[in-house]
Amino acid sequence: MARWLPAGLLVLLVLLALYPMHGTGYGIRTMLQLFMWIALAQSWNLISGLTGYVSFGHVAFFGMGAYTAGILIGTLGWPWLLACLAGGVMAMVLALVIGWPCLRLKGPYFAIAMLGLNEVLRVIVSYYEGLTGGGNGLSLPTLHASVPIYYAMGLVALSVTALTYVIVTSRFGLRLMTIREDEVAAEAMGIDTFRYKLYAFLLSAVGPGIVGGLAARDQGYIEPTSVFPLITTITMIVMALFGGKGTIWGPVLGAVLLFTFQELVWARFIYLHQLLFGAIIITVVLLMPRGILGVLQQKYNLPRTI
Amino acid sequence: MTVVITPTMIGQVIISGLLAGALYAMVALGLGLIFGVMRVLNVAHGPLLMLGAYTTFWLFQLLGLNPYLSLLVSMPLLFLAGVVLQRVLVHRVVDAPELSSLLLMFGVSIALVNLAQLGFTSDVRSVEYLTGSFILGPFAFSKSRVIACAFALAITAGAFVLLKKTRLGKAIRAVSQSREVAQVCGINVQRIHLITFGAASALAAAGGTLVAVMVAIQPEMGQVYTFKSFLVIVLGGAGNYPGALLGGLLLGLIEQLSSLFITTQVNEAVAYVLLVLVLLLRPTGLLKGRS
Repeated sequence: MARWLPAGLLVLLVLLALYPMHGTGYGIRTMLQLFMWIALAQSWNLISGLTGYVSFGHVAFFGMGAYTAGILIGTLGWPWLLACLAGGVMAMVLALVIGWPCLRLKGPYFAIAMLGLNEVLRVIVSYYEGLTGGGNGLSLPTLHASVPIYYAMGLVALSVTALTYVIVTSRFGLRLMTIREDEVAAEAMGIDTFRYKLYAFLLSAVGPGIVGGLAARDQGYIEPTSVFPLITTITMIVMALFGGKGTIWGPVLGAVLLFTFQELVWARFIYLHQLLFGAIIITVVLLMPRGILGVLQQKYNLPRTI
Repeated sequence: MTVVITPTMIGQVIISGLLAGALYAMVALGLGLIFGVMRVLNVAHGPLLMLGAYTTFWLFQLLGLNPYLSLLVSMPLLFLAGVVLQRVLVHRVVDAPELSSLLLMFGVSIALVNLAQLGFTSDVRSVEYLTGSFILGPFAFSKSRVIACAFALAITAGAFVLLKKTRLGKAIRAVSQSREVAQVCGINVQRIHLITFGAASALAAAGGTLVAVMVAIQPEMGQVYTFKSFLVIVLGGAGNYPGALLGGLLLGLIEQLSSLFITTQVNEAVAYVLLVLVLLLRPTGLLKGRS
């Protein structure tokens, strides 16, 4: 099976790369959103799946990227690709500012500190109206670029997944997982835990930052409540958890399954949508906290690099 | 344009801050109890408060019941809801890592808000009961806020007496200090967990009933109170119950002072910066809590 996996992936990649030539506009935008969720779930996995530090404020990086790109495109007229990359850089800057103090906090206190973050950013963005348009939001010039954004989004999803693979198979990844299993022991072994946590945190912020910029460009309009919703953080967590956190393919699998489910089922039950989502969260937490791949890994003794 | 800040204004702001703070303290005490006893961060605390507010609204709307009297309904009702929630869901994640308990409570929170939307629609409701202010010298006291503050202080005091003076309270504190030792001493830990979650939900319900007269009632009204309650228990020291009172009053003051000196909109940002600072510099809270 191990031999067929790379070949299968290659075929899948080629198919996805060729898809825009035949796909409908709706199909392309749906796929683009799927890529976005893969990138988000995978990025969350980088910090929380590997180090065990649960980030409940990851949408903050997404929103930061969206606003950075929005302002650069809308006000300064930057090309969108460059603006989105700048969004990734600004998300990293935010991660540095937040991570420097907060990564020293342990367990539930880190979660509390991260929980407030998106709320606060939303307030700040609403307040600085001159720069951000405040509650009225920010409209970007019209541009029909679904296909280039499709490729860009896909590339980010692929890069974050490749990055996860590289990290999990490296000494750096081993150190992160040591922190997850026992931070005191990790320190006793001479691992500078704070430094590695911070590196992982920074890396986990880039993807959401770029993706946030791309989503802003794709939608053409952003407002504080649409780019900083807590539910986005929860969704990426549930995707990663469902597939298997701390694994390489878990977040991808979780994103694909939940997103497909969402497109097929939730769209038909608009009023029950949130209730169903709540029920899904509760089910995943109670019945399979290790996720699909986590369970398979345990049962069939699969390698760590799955 | 600069606004001249007079001592009267500062006095007024301090009064408003303390009035709001007593309410925060009561609501946060519930959150703090659950965290102290079970190490579970109950993000569904705000939605439970919302249910309390709706209870008051419907009783007022349909039966014309005095909103303050509806405390006698909303608190027992939500106590029961809390016990059911604990019995069915929460007890399964008490020993799980915080990711599980937090996510589970998020699931509950999302579901409760959606249920409220389905059952009560998203229309903004209000209870028109008590308006106007008491005037005392240069200061004005909004009537509904003064009464809310009085009730909140009384209920908080009642909770403290229960915690300090009764056998049940002693058992709750024992479980919060060390579950194993409490169990060895013959305390039924599961039962204490049930009662704690029920009592905490009742405190949230009391908060909902008291704010129902003051603010707009809608399914998403609870979320801000969840965040504020986190702030309060961090400021006061998690697991330190009297600390919740101090934290609540402090949060009320900070909010009001920052709206006076900066602007109302940045309240939350100011409070957040404070939260991170307290977590870093005094992780056990301003009064000594448990690390």
